[in-house]
Amino acid sequence: MEEYDLFPGCVIQNRIPYIEDSARKVFDKLGIKTSDAPFGCCPDPVGFNAVHHKSWMAMSARNLTIAEIDGRSIASLCNGCTQTLKAVNVELKQSEEEKDSINAVLAKIGREFKGTISVKHFVQILIEDVSIEKIKEAITTPFTGLKVACHTGCHYARPSHIMQWDDPMEPKCLRELVEATGATAVDYDEEVLCCGAGVGNTEEEPAMQILKQKFNSAIQAGAECFVVICPACFQQMDGNQRILKKMFEKDYNIPILYLTELFALAMGYKYDDLNLKLHRARPQALLEKYNAV
Amino acid sequence: MAVIDFEFRNSIIQKDLGNTLAYCYQCGTCSGACPVAQVTKGRYNPRKLILNSLLGLKENLLLGAENNFNIWGCTVCDTCDEMCPQNVELTEIFILLKNMSVEKGEAPEYYTTQAKFILEHGKAIPLAPAIERRRDQMGLPKAPKVDKKEIRALLKETGLVKIIGPLEEEKKEGVK
Repeated sequence: MEEYDLFPGCVIQNRIPYIEDSARKVFDKLGIKTSDAPFGCCPDPVGFNAVHHKSWMAMSARNLTIAEIDGRSIASLCNGCTQTLKAVNVELKQSEEEKDSINAVLAKIGREFKGTISVKHFVQILIEDVSIEKIKEAITTPFTGLKVACHTGCHYARPSHIMQWDDPMEPKCLRELVEATGATAVDYDEEVLCCGAGVGNTEEEPAMQILKQKFNSAIQAGAECFVVICPACFQQMDGNQRILKKMFEKDYNIPILYLTELFALAMGYKYDDLNLKLHRARPQALLEKYNAV
Repeated sequence: MAVIDFEFRNSIIQKDLGNTLAYCYQCGTCSGACPVAQVTKGRYNPRKLILNSLLGLKENLLLGAENNFNIWGCTVCDTCDEMCPQNVELTEIFILLKNMSVEKGEAPEYYTTQAKFILEHGKAIPLAPAIERRRDQMGLPKAPKVDKKEIRALLKETGLVKIIGPLEEEKKEGVK
């Protein structure tokens, strides 16, 4: 199997490292090999790109040159990092003009973008390098009966002409991966609705309105938890339930699991091994039902 | 009455990010699909942003720091781009508008603060000692050190420092 440079992204690495831990555990079980590299900020496609587009491209291109020197493609644990790195990689590979313009600034720090590697979201690696069949073989503690609301998040497959992966408005891969653990992915109306984190940088209330809409739709469909693949969505959905409670007087208390946490649990790790007590909406009661505590 | 600013419109259309602007025929699919437009009753309205950009009505777009929700209400979900029947790359056009808003000093503080963190630490979220200890406890490898000096040199070269200002420590060095 191909070896990758791991790009955990700064939210996972420096704020919620228990998710990195679960990813590393799952990658070991499935034989996905990664190396660490001194990457800078990806940087954030919602924030930094909005401040100065050229700086966003240059920072992203610099990261790509680090992986190019290593001769390894990038495995990203985060939607935002994936979108930033992939968008710039695709753009610079397609446009000589853009490439020359970015290489002119990179030259000042002794770097050059060559376009020799690719960028993948870890979901793509699970599907393409490992396969659903191999994942099923690694499951020891199935989640038969667990009803999951899948939430891919926006930057996983959009914009589709850049991401060129899965379906941008009806994503399928996350559902397949969740169902590989024996769980059921429920159908809910707001599956592709944004988590609201982006607008939350400007105003809290619309962000919470969107989140509420998403939660209500999933719960109505019978979901017992969400499974996510983006740390920004994770923080918005797990960390902000107390704001929802304050604003709308409704205590959702619905667990949000990262896909790698669900997999690690299904592969035999327990609640404490994965530091799941660090979640704001603690999944303990739910996981007790499935012998995962 | 707002004045048409032809240069403004061209400054969008002539850029790679903005060259799909002219394809818009104002069908409103974007606003119909926009989650923020729904919950704010149109206070954020992507169709109007495109219309004002097309007409070159800059005054209707950059309304000052107090009224920046028309631009910064975008949650960057990329749904409008996906749904647009004319393949207008709305989110990319909005990046240009946001960049202009930053230059005018009208952006929400969150955005410029994050940019300053990236300039200073090389990352939007630097590694705090408490998290470093937690990583050790979990047996995670040390987070690789980021070359901050190189990143600062790069962001000086791209022009970011000119827009958001130099770091405090570098201001002092400049005085010496």
